Amino acid sequence: MNNANPIVQMRVLSKRFGKTEALQDVDLEIGPGSIIGLLGANGAGKSTLLRHIIGLYLPNKGSCTTFGCEAGKLGPAQLGRIGYVHQEGELLDWMKVGQLIRYVAAYYPNWNEELEEKYVADYDIATSARVGSLSPGQRQKLAILLAIGFEPELLILDEPASTLDPVARGQFLDLLLQIIQNENRTIIISSHILSDVEKVIDHAIIMKAGRILRDCSFDELKEEFCRVRISALSGELPAELPFENVIQRQQSNDQAVITVRNTSPEQIEQTAESLDCQVEIQTLPLEEIYKLVVR
Amino acid sequence: MSVLSVNLKHLYQRIGLWLTYLILGLLVFASLAIALDRPLAARGRFMGLVMLQFMIGACIASLSAEVLTKPFSYCLPGHRAVPRKFIFSVAAVTSLLGSLLFLAYPGLHGWQLLLVICSAFCAGLIMYWAAVAFTFGIGNSAWGMLFVFLLICGALFSDLHAAAERAIVGAPLAIISLGLASSAVVWIWLGKSNWARKFCAVSRVGFFDLGDRDRVQEFARRRAAARPDKFKNHPSPWVERFFLDRMKNCDHLGPGRCIWGGLYTTYGMAVSNWRGSLFGLFLWLAMMVCFSYTLPEGADILFFMGGVVVIHMRLPVYSSMMIPGSRGERFSTAAILAGSVTLLITTVLALVAGVSVALAPVMPDITFGDEVLTFHGTSLRLLIVPSIMIPIFLAFRLIVFRKPFSTLASIILMMAVMFVFGINSSERLGTLTNPTSTISLSILGWLILFVVLRHICMKRSLVGQSRTY
Repeated sequence: MNNANPIVQMRVLSKRFGKTEALQDVDLEIGPGSIIGLLGANGAGKSTLLRHIIGLYLPNKGSCTTFGCEAGKLGPAQLGRIGYVHQEGELLDWMKVGQLIRYVAAYYPNWNEELEEKYVADYDIATSARVGSLSPGQRQKLAILLAIGFEPELLILDEPASTLDPVARGQFLDLLLQIIQNENRTIIISSHILSDVEKVIDHAIIMKAGRILRDCSFDELKEEFCRVRISALSGELPAELPFENVIQRQQSNDQAVITVRNTSPEQIEQTAESLDCQVEIQTLPLEEIYKLVVR
Repeated sequence: MSVLSVNLKHLYQRIGLWLTYLILGLLVFASLAIALDRPLAARGRFMGLVMLQFMIGACIASLSAEVLTKPFSYCLPGHRAVPRKFIFSVAAVTSLLGSLLFLAYPGLHGWQLLLVICSAFCAGLIMYWAAVAFTFGIGNSAWGMLFVFLLICGALFSDLHAAAERAIVGAPLAIISLGLASSAVVWIWLGKSNWARKFCAVSRVGFFDLGDRDRVQEFARRRAAARPDKFKNHPSPWVERFFLDRMKNCDHLGPGRCIWGGLYTTYGMAVSNWRGSLFGLFLWLAMMVCFSYTLPEGADILFFMGGVVVIHMRLPVYSSMMIPGSRGERFSTAAILAGSVTLLITTVLALVAGVSVALAPVMPDITFGDEVLTFHGTSLRLLIVPSIMIPIFLAFRLIVFRKPFSTLASIILMMAVMFVFGINSSERLGTLTNPTSTISLSILGWLILFVVLRHICMKRSLVGQSRTY
């Protein structure tokens, strides 16, 4: 992602925990005004990367700057522009929900009480309940409220929807789209629920074993792969199909399903014409694209 | 490998157990020394190993309960019956070894000696079963620890161990009958078909989890969730208003908000629950009065309890809950909290010691049997102790925050320090009351804390891999 004024910039960043290389030579730039999906298997380094952005982790090698400031030296001025929903769901269990909201709000001069009230009503958050007695889903909703209540410019969501029910997940995705209406906002979302993520992201970063495999717009990623269903119009299909860049293939006598990479629809149709067969081209869901990228 | 063998592997694979073995080893050594040094009959000198069976039973039951709470152990074929075999195997071996100490019992020969050994074996089993029943019956092992402490104190004060020894030697058949009957009851109880189900996936704080903050918090969270709201504690409105007003009065770009926020999250509950805090102070005072009568040097132990108070204190360093506080602000907040807690504990101790000194001339003597107990005022010279111990303990906790076992070890170490310094300690404490050495030690302690705190806040990762501080 090349931006004139990136809000997050990582240069040859590496992080190791003991013998484990959690991040290896990561180069990354994140500009304003997009929803970025951070995808990867467990242990791929997603949370580690996100924690570097807010300075919770310091790199062993390389650098990370956020809002133009070295991440480890971020002060209240920069941190007050970043919202973070964390995987552990760490909250102050001994407070009532309303008390925790007021406590966190006290740190931010720009806390939006209207947004808070709307969120509390929409998500049915019981402000008089004790935080420690909330269910995991309710805790997650509360953590999201605490992260968005001051309308941060950069919102970092580390597995935010993992404990939400399908209805709440839908509401949450709508909320993300509302937040991004302001063109200066940026959201980085790490999630395993790819079917949800693909509804909102416009940029994808795919990680594997501490490295970034892909960093491109979601449209580019979708165009890169496609599935082609081929049906012979007369007779049988040849044993060797002459399509380019085939990465997966299933074939019977008169039908075949292939997955191709970096091949335009025009090229596919031309080849199909020469074979005297009919083709149906489909884009792949993010889940399948992800599997193809990381395999 | 059989399921039982796999369970027996816990006995050497669990790191926490090695610390227990060390403590048990010391206690076994002490028991043998007491019995064999002066082998006197009917004084309770041979009861050490029998009483130790309670601790062994508690450990073994705690291990079994831990295994049973894992859902997979309920589902594994043949696993539900294993705890009984495991518990009985250990009981048989340890009780037998413990009973052999009675071979040195004076004046016993032939069949009479054999009978007494059987009786001691059964007495060991009874202690063991009591611990097993107690451990399975409670969800939080902290209560078990408290019970053991009270049991030891009760036995020492009432000569219960001597009475039990006389029963083992004087009425062996009765003890053997009781031992066999209790074993049969426990065998049936542990073999019930629905017994394992009661523990499956149930949150517990085992003996080895006492230092594991995550586990203790999870247990507290589940317990809180099950209680009606009116019984749950939370900050009082006036406390919340007080702290939030101060936070809001500070510049949002300065460190003030974080510092007031840290003070709120550290003291908010203690101030809100002021009746409970006063009750704690009263308990401290009561302990001091009790010690001042029975063991005047022991009252000095109270000065070391500051370390125990802070051992679970959470300095706001490792936290993934996002607030706009920089690393530098985490450092200054933590440093101020460390200073404030030291000041608070020292003030409370000064108050308790001051009351003790004031009461000394007016407290009457108490006659207890043949003994006359006189109240001795607590010395004020140890008020420096918290300012030496607290920074060192806080630094230790910061370093080992991810290792619950180390917390447990540090609590035991703390107890040992208290014991060594507190009991018969006038000479040793002389070092601590020398102004030059105390001030040097205190400065050293704070230097260590600041260096560790600074290093962690500025150079280290501030959240662990899925663990909290």
